[in-house]
Order: sequence, then C-alpha cells, then structure tokens
Amino acid sequence: MLHEMSLNINGETYPVVVKSHDTLVRVLREQLGLTGTKVGCGNGECGACTVLFDGAPVNSCMVLAVEAQGHRIETVEGLSQGGDLHPLQKAFVEHNAVQCGFCTSGMLMSAKALLERNSHPTEQEVREALVGNLCRCTGYIRIVDAVLDVAEAGS
Amino acid sequence: MRPFDYYRPETFEEAFRLLTLPDKRVMPLAGATDLIPMVRDEHWQPDVVVDVKGLPGMCDVVEMPEGLIVGAAVRMVELMHHPLVNSPRWNLLAQAAAAMGNEQVRNRATLGGNLCTASPAADSAPALLTLEAKAVIRGAAGERRVPITEFFLGPRKTALQKGELLIGVLIPAPPVGAVGTYVKLSRRKAGDLAIVGVAALAYPHDGGHVWCLALGAVAPTPIRASEAEAALNAGHDEATIEHATKCAFDACCPIDDIRASAEYRKAMVSRIARRAIEGVLAKLP
Repeated sequence: MLHEMSLNINGETYPVVVKSHDTLVRVLREQLGLTGTKVGCGNGECGACTVLFDGAPVNSCMVLAVEAQGHRIETVEGLSQGGDLHPLQKAFVEHNAVQCGFCTSGMLMSAKALLERNSHPTEQEVREALVGNLCRCTGYIRIVDAVLDVAEAGS
Repeated sequence: MRPFDYYRPETFEEAFRLLTLPDKRVMPLAGATDLIPMVRDEHWQPDVVVDVKGLPGMCDVVEMPEGLIVGAAVRMVELMHHPLVNSPRWNLLAQAAAAMGNEQVRNRATLGGNLCTASPAADSAPALLTLEAKAVIRGAAGERRVPITEFFLGPRKTALQKGELLIGVLIPAPPVGAVGTYVKLSRRKAGDLAIVGVAALAYPHDGGHVWCLALGAVAPTPIRASEAEAALNAGHDEATIEHATKCAFDACCPIDDIRASAEYRKAMVSRIARRAIEGVLAKLP
C-alpha cells in the first residue's frame, strides 16, 4: 500500500511516496539520501538511527515513515547552519569524541534533545541521556566531556 | 520487511471493521517498538496494521470517580511525567515506566503495547498488579473490564478476543497513605529487559499494613506473590521479611533465557523482593 504524503525534515518539506511498511530511517536514507542517520541493531538498543521527532529522540528504525506525517523530524544533516558546525559537532571534533563515527549522529541528536530541555546537565544527566546510544570505540568519556563542554559554554 | 497495509482510523467503528477484515491477519499498532522488530524478524506476519493512536481517548489520562483511566496509547515518557500518574497515589506506575527501555524507546512505546505484547518481563505489569488495575477492553459488541491478573494468559497471550482492542487501563486510587516501589534487575542499569522485576505496595490498615507484592519475568505471566503478602500483613520484623522473600522464591517458576538462567532468576527473586520491601518500609511514615 502506497501513501502519498509529505515529511517535514530539518524544517524543509519533502513530498514522498512511501510504502506502509517502510521505516522512517529507510525513507531518510534510501529515498531522500539523508545517510547521516545510521542503521545499527534495528531493535532499539544501539541508538545509531536516533532522530528527533517533535524534538524528542526516537529510534527511526522503529517508526514507520507513514507515522511521521504531520510531525517535525530533525536529523544530523540539520545541525550545521550556513556551513558552520553546530556547537555539539565542534565539541565532538575538539574532544576527539569520534572514532569509527557510526554512533556519532545518534549521539549528537540525543545530546541536542538533552540540552534543549536542560541547558545545564550534570555528568550523570548526560550519561543517562545517552543510555540509548551505544559506542563500541570511545569508552564514552570524550563524548560525555564534549556534551558537558557545550553545556558550560552556553552558561 | 514483509509488506503490510497501514490504516489509521479515527473512529472505533472503522477500527473494528478493519480489525475483523475477513481472511486477513490484522494487528493493532501503537508505539511500534515491538511490532517493527517482530515483523522484520518474521515472528509476526500481519497483512494489515491498524494504528490506534488516532482513536478517541487512546492518548488521554483522565481521573474518574472509580480511579485513573490511562489510555492504551499513552507513552511511557508521558507516564513518567504526568502530574496524576506521577503523584503519590499512582507513582508506582511512573517508576515502572522510567525503568523501561531507554529514552528513545520510552518516547514511542505505550502502556497498551507493553501489556498487549504480554511479555512476562513487561515493566508496567507488576506495578499494575499491585495497584489492582483493570484492563478496559472494547469490541464491536461493547466494553468489558478484566482484572489485570486475568488479562495475561501466558507468554504473549492475553484475554483479548479477535476484533477486540485494549483501550486503556483503570487504576483505582490505592488507600490513603499507600507507598510503592519498583525494583528491576537487568544486565545493565538501563535499556534492558528485566531479569527480575518486583513491585511492592503497602498501606496502613487497622493499626498495621496491607501489602501487595508482584513479580515480573519469573513465571509465564507476571504474578502476585500472595503468600508473601500474607506474611508481611502480619508484621515486618526481620524474620518475617526473610520468610516473605522465601514465599516469593517459592511462588516463581522462571525459565532459562539469554538474559539469565532459571536458577539465577530464582536466587535473585528473593534478593530483589527484599529490596522492594525495604524500599517500601523506608517510605512508610
């Protein structure tokens, strides 16, 4: 079954035709070419596919594309503005918070949602906000430091 | 993923028409956090999925004279923060919602989905068992209410008949002074299913206390530990607590799975039950 609809992604409207069983991440990556969002486990454990759905982090591998109609979707591609990296992206670079990079876009989106609801999180709150994002490389310390750095810079 | 057709009805009449389509395997969809992985791995093979999130009342939390009505499509994140759910009367359910999954999952997963998947490890179930909730079920023929103890029939089996929907849960207000605690043991502190989950609730009565204790992930369905409750109702000195944890141990019949052996689960039921009981005692005035 096909659904002719539009998706609001990073503030832009994309007309799409999706199948009922298409997941949001599949449409983002394979139809719209927004491949910054990654697919890891497909079970809601790794968080590599995290996007913001009306501002809240969700696993885009567990949302049907058709369910996203009428909602505001943000992906990692929407972070940089006018060629300037988002403060979180800059901090990830400065802190070397990236090794293989597969978890990075999901980490950035979860961190963005955290800082939007709590601009001064404690280290514990940062760690709790990133529970749903697995990183097999960094040991998390540099990622947590990068997020805390942005929180402090914004104070 | 195996193809299916998706509908999002806005009336119950239309929902029941879709749910009873002849010769079709039809499944309701709420948060989709169970449905999508299950379809992808071909455990479930629906021809049609019916999104229930647009149906009247499904996303509402309403206080009624008989208790709190929580719509089946209310999400875990909403249970955590809703001023009525996260109030002294019902915060055991808010605690259970906070223990479930991770933020991304709690932002999609719903109370109704957690119950209808009927995993013995469902975090919301022990809390609802101790709160003596009722499942509110609606079908083309009308509405019925089923005590939550009778809603779970076995792993992934519920009292829902074909064409029926769980539309919400009715949670009576516990007696004044009730306090509750949910304690969950899992392989990591967050983002995992329970190896053992224990909800404990107690309220003052007749100079003593009445206890409710429910166990998750240690039997084919979530269960009440009635002998442990009876023991605690008589008092809560150390010997009685020890006896109650043994009753909880005897009440369970867990299985081996990827998360833990049956033997480990049995050993941990007593420990986690003790933590839940002590958690309640610490909150009692």
